[in-house]
Amino acid sequence: MHRFIRQRAIASLISLMLLVVAVFFLSRLTGDPAALYLPVEASEEMRQQFREVHGLNDPVLVQFGRYVSDLAQLNFGDSIRKARPAFEIVIEAFWWTLQLALITMALVTAAAIVLGSLAAFRAGGLFDRLATVSSLIGASAPDFWVAIVAIVVFSVGLGWVPTSGTGTLAHWILPIAVLFIRPFGLIVQVVRGAMITALSSAYVKTARAKGVKSQAIIFVHALRNAMLPVITVIGDQAAALLNGAVVIETIFGFPGVGKLMIDSILQRDFNVVLAAIMVTAMAIFLMNLLIDLAYSLLDPRIRH
Amino acid sequence: MKKVMLWGALAAATALTPAFAQDVKIVLNEEADVLEPCMATRSNVGRITMQNINETLTYLDIKGGTGLQPKLAESWEQNPDGSWRFKLRSGVTFSDGTTFDAKDVKHSFDRAMDASITCEVPRYFGGMTISAEVLDDLTIDFKVDPVQPILPLLMTLLTIVPEETPVEFIREPVGTGPYALTEWTPGQQIVLTAREGYWGDAPAVQTATYLFRGDPAVRGAMVATGEADIAPSIAALDATNAATDFSYLDSETVYARLDHSVPPLDDLRVRKALNLAVDREAFVGTLLPEGALLATAVYPPPTLGWNPDVTVWEYNPDEARKLLEEARADGVAVDTPITLIGRTANFPNVTEILEAVQQQLQEAGFTVELQFYEVAEFEALYSKPYPDGRGPMMVVAMHDNSKGDPSFSMFFKYASEGRQSGIADSKVDDLIARASAATDDERVALWQELQAYLHDEVVADLLLFHMVGFSRVSERLDWRPTMATNSMLPLAEINFN
Repeated sequence: MHRFIRQRAIASLISLMLLVVAVFFLSRLTGDPAALYLPVEASEEMRQQFREVHGLNDPVLVQFGRYVSDLAQLNFGDSIRKARPAFEIVIEAFWWTLQLALITMALVTAAAIVLGSLAAFRAGGLFDRLATVSSLIGASAPDFWVAIVAIVVFSVGLGWVPTSGTGTLAHWILPIAVLFIRPFGLIVQVVRGAMITALSSAYVKTARAKGVKSQAIIFVHALRNAMLPVITVIGDQAAALLNGAVVIETIFGFPGVGKLMIDSILQRDFNVVLAAIMVTAMAIFLMNLLIDLAYSLLDPRIRH
Repeated sequence: MKKVMLWGALAAATALTPAFAQDVKIVLNEEADVLEPCMATRSNVGRITMQNINETLTYLDIKGGTGLQPKLAESWEQNPDGSWRFKLRSGVTFSDGTTFDAKDVKHSFDRAMDASITCEVPRYFGGMTISAEVLDDLTIDFKVDPVQPILPLLMTLLTIVPEETPVEFIREPVGTGPYALTEWTPGQQIVLTAREGYWGDAPAVQTATYLFRGDPAVRGAMVATGEADIAPSIAALDATNAATDFSYLDSETVYARLDHSVPPLDDLRVRKALNLAVDREAFVGTLLPEGALLATAVYPPPTLGWNPDVTVWEYNPDEARKLLEEARADGVAVDTPITLIGRTANFPNVTEILEAVQQQLQEAGFTVELQFYEVAEFEALYSKPYPDGRGPMMVVAMHDNSKGDPSFSMFFKYASEGRQSGIADSKVDDLIARASAATDDERVALWQELQAYLHDEVVADLLLFHMVGFSRVSERLDWRPTMATNSMLPLAEINFN
């Protein structure tokens, strides 16, 4: 097990380093930050001063060497735009994204497993129809539209929850609800499919023949065997959320890492882009590791 | 018992009401990434700090229309050698308790101009050498080479900080303004609180909380639900409640910069034909909101020196076609495709508006290709040095001048050396130099002359529209945005109904 974790860590570190190199040089290709940071009226002298202050005058390889040397000392550099440490900015934003992703995925997983299992148990029944409708909505309703309509209905119309922001628990309801829809629609179908296969297997028929209760058959015997593909999809969806839910963050004023990353790319705030990529990549690495470990817990045949 | 508790709760609520009643929440479209005083000329910073935390020596009163007013300077005069002397207000303290004097002004200026920090202010002082000399605690001279008649106006942009402020970006600005920063949670909110010991009149607003939402519909909804009191910028489509929503002339002007150095745009008849071919009226109330004005200058009407006698080009496609034919007969390559260049998402409906302009120009006989670019690529085409081997270009830009004086526009847009200028005309250069140096009526007259010359004789560009913004303001407030709201939002101007 330890050897497996060590191997995965080394592989991830190599990927991370390649990613940093690629992003460092590709981001420099987007252009000069002075062109965006300074107003169009700024003189060439001001632009030169700006490049000098931020070390952008040096050849790119020199800049890269300096960046790597700083990084070795865990110095991610400062944000040009916000004039403070890039890592600090990213961690602040990532904390919001992490909370949003964890809560949403926990709710999605629980709800999808229950509804997907019940849908599989009686195909064509009420739960199956509910699962189909949820999937259809999840696949077809655009986030931004659902978010705005939710605000108009539940905040402006009914006054039940605040429109946006982060102040209280009530502020989390709409963003989580909107974020819930898409992964729920997908995962409920995966659960349903995997459960139909599991429920038609011989051990389930045996259990039925022995008079085991339906609930036990579904949630104890079949579910555990059906969980492997489900966990893979959950991991995939969680990774998407850890990268930030840009639309949701923008509309609901959630200061998450997705919006931060997009803004930083548009503003050519290179240090923030790099720090954000490294932090989210690390988080996704950890999550993938947990998923691998979960496989072996669920299926003893898988050994690391 | 229950009754007693209910009354107790009511009494407590009543006791809390006055404090709440003096608080406002303002929801802005863009977060302030820094609160550095020398960056206050950037709109996302200035809307929070300018005249609230940090004040300036002078103040341009756009709302009251009274022109340049004293703020931290009580008076100013030009010395015989052309330098400017500012007499400062006494009895002013900073929010950290220190006393304001001339040394603070000198430090603020030197700090803002220091090459080791990249402040915004120096761009307004380009092309001049300035030094500040403290004469006594309340008197300071600014020596400017060449002599700069609008230095008192430029001082509306220099925010004053205490002498002790380090020459690096700070996160806790200290100023002489009526408010102090009491909370800054990045990404969430900024809170300013009225402070004791302010030298001027005590403002009505005690606490101002700034929130940031990127979506205009959400900003509007926040005022509708009472989560915010002011949303200075909402979408025109959302401005549906007459009691809270209204339009105002903002400081943005949309125009197409013509490159006079490339044929066929070097031909006056072709430029006139372009102007005659566009039906500007047709856009207002359709693709543009009602209230948008047709432009005759690159700055909006409340600006000093705006010439009311210059009239908008009439829509006359027949005349445009005639002029094009005349030019063609003289060998001008009028069929050369002209590229109409827009910036993606520059303003609402920019795509549809430019498609319509393209259509109208083509109906008059032009060959026009429409291209959109992202910000950075756009800037490379908008600002000098222009790309070599370029064809004829019409670069559609939105220019912001909320400063009240054409000097903030004219050099950059029309002088031969201007970074976004499409022309090189010695008379224009001379008028810009003279108008920039003039004062009072002479200044007004020279700017007016330049506006008319550019519009009617040079036909420098394709001026299109002065834009309007829409805001939503809670009915409990007595406040209306102005052209200046784009760059600052003085809380002291807000009262309660």
